[in-house]
Amino acid sequence: MPLTFPAPVERDRPDEGKLRLADTIRAVAEGDRNAFALLYADYVRMVHAILLGRVPRRDVDDLVQDVFIAAYTRLRELREPAAFGGWLATIARNRATDYLRQSREHVALPVELPGGDPIEAETMAVLDIVSKLPEAYRETLLMRLVEGMTGAEIAERSGLTPASVRVNLHRGMKLLRENLQAVPDHHGGERTSSSVGQNQS
Amino acid sequence: MNNDYLWDGSGTPDPDVQRLEALLGRLRSIPPVPQLPETPVRWRSVRYLTPMLAAAAAIIVMIGVAWQSTRGSASWEVASIAGQPRIGSTALAGTGRIAVGQTLVTDAVSRARMQVSSIGSVTIEPGTRVRLVETRDAHHQLALDRGTLHAVISAPPGQFVVDTPSARATDLGCAYMLHVDEDGSGMLSVTSGWVAFEFNGREAFVPAGASCRTHPQLGPGTPRYDDARQEYREALDEFDFGDPARRPDALRVILGDRSNADAVTLWHLISRVDAADRAAIVNALVDQLPMPAGVTREAVLRLDRLALDRWWSELGLGDADWWRKWKAEYPAAR
Repeated sequence: MPLTFPAPVERDRPDEGKLRLADTIRAVAEGDRNAFALLYADYVRMVHAILLGRVPRRDVDDLVQDVFIAAYTRLRELREPAAFGGWLATIARNRATDYLRQSREHVALPVELPGGDPIEAETMAVLDIVSKLPEAYRETLLMRLVEGMTGAEIAERSGLTPASVRVNLHRGMKLLRENLQAVPDHHGGERTSSSVGQNQS
Repeated sequence: MNNDYLWDGSGTPDPDVQRLEALLGRLRSIPPVPQLPETPVRWRSVRYLTPMLAAAAAIIVMIGVAWQSTRGSASWEVASIAGQPRIGSTALAGTGRIAVGQTLVTDAVSRARMQVSSIGSVTIEPGTRVRLVETRDAHHQLALDRGTLHAVISAPPGQFVVDTPSARATDLGCAYMLHVDEDGSGMLSVTSGWVAFEFNGREAFVPAGASCRTHPQLGPGTPRYDDARQEYREALDEFDFGDPARRPDALRVILGDRSNADAVTLWHLISRVDAADRAAIVNALVDQLPMPAGVTREAVLRLDRLALDRWWSELGLGDADWWRKWKAEYPAAR
């Protein structure tokens, strides 16, 4: 099923209706919770994708909230509003690293096993393969394939140049196809790129 | 248009990308916007602080912290009792704090205790997920998604509230246990004082020694004392949540068991039975608790709120007037 990309929605920004990112961040820093909600809506998919490629799925939602609370409380550290996306991504990566370290130190987390649903199993198997890609490819592909962001949106949110995003998408997709082909499917056969997701009804 | 499907979905669709979108798109999730802590944030201003100003700010912060500690801060202290509960995604070892918007989760072997500002404590049992919704002067609120908590509150009524998927429990000066199943149904058991249990206008007042079930679509059932016979409790469950066609049979069991049909249960049933059955319930309650002066049988039969509340107050369990006033000030946030 092809993914559709909705047209950008014109939303009311605080005060003047359409503040730029810097104004939104300044409003958040001054305690404007509506501005925070707008910032959250704009960046939550990027943070979700970064975390999904690093930590068990069951904890991703909680960690997303942790990341945004941390960003809110540390906003004073941000010197350049235009760098917000990259700065937030760094917080997300660091939070994931802390989480994994704490998990090793404190809790023997059970292995994340898919249930009996074959589509669920297929989904988790592909996610596992994507999660083993190099970071730049992994994050960009998850933003595109999981979160439904366009290349332009990925560039705008992450702070990468559009050219870098395009390279990450195409090289990442090429590597993903190769890795998927190398992994046996659930029936013991070798998976082909054209068999990806074919368990779906 | 880039004619590059992988870039923006335009141009000729790539079947592999389409399949991956459909498969991995199942993992998409947008968690709700977190509740922000009360921490004041001042962007960039720190850069321009002189050392003197910094010192002044530090003093102000210390005064602020001291002031916050006397009026209740936006977080609670949490101590691990067993295992390793998690606050958000962080494993709790020893003690920590839970901020507004954060979630405490216990696994099958872990337990924790929350300090509810300065008014009491809540023990979180294994297999529980609970979120701190709000904490400020005279109003502290949790959301219990699943699992079990025990609350012990020493404060004026109404300061401590727990939302569940099927009812809101409002402390009226009490100690109680609240449990929520995976399907959102639940059970409230009160050991001291009384608790108001409410969902979409359906109310139950649960005194010490009594319990009340709740259902996701229907809200609180009818309170009953814990020492009632099993058959009586089952009849009440049938009446509250069972097949409507079996309600008359259930009501016959309830009314026929005068040794178990207590005044608290009967008072609740007045407004829950059909009009044709109401007189029988009123008669049964009159046998146990005479109507106070000024309350008439006619007023009760037409479910006059003031008359019902005055009759409730005769039970000596708490004044219903207070609850009405509180509800007007803190309507359910559903």
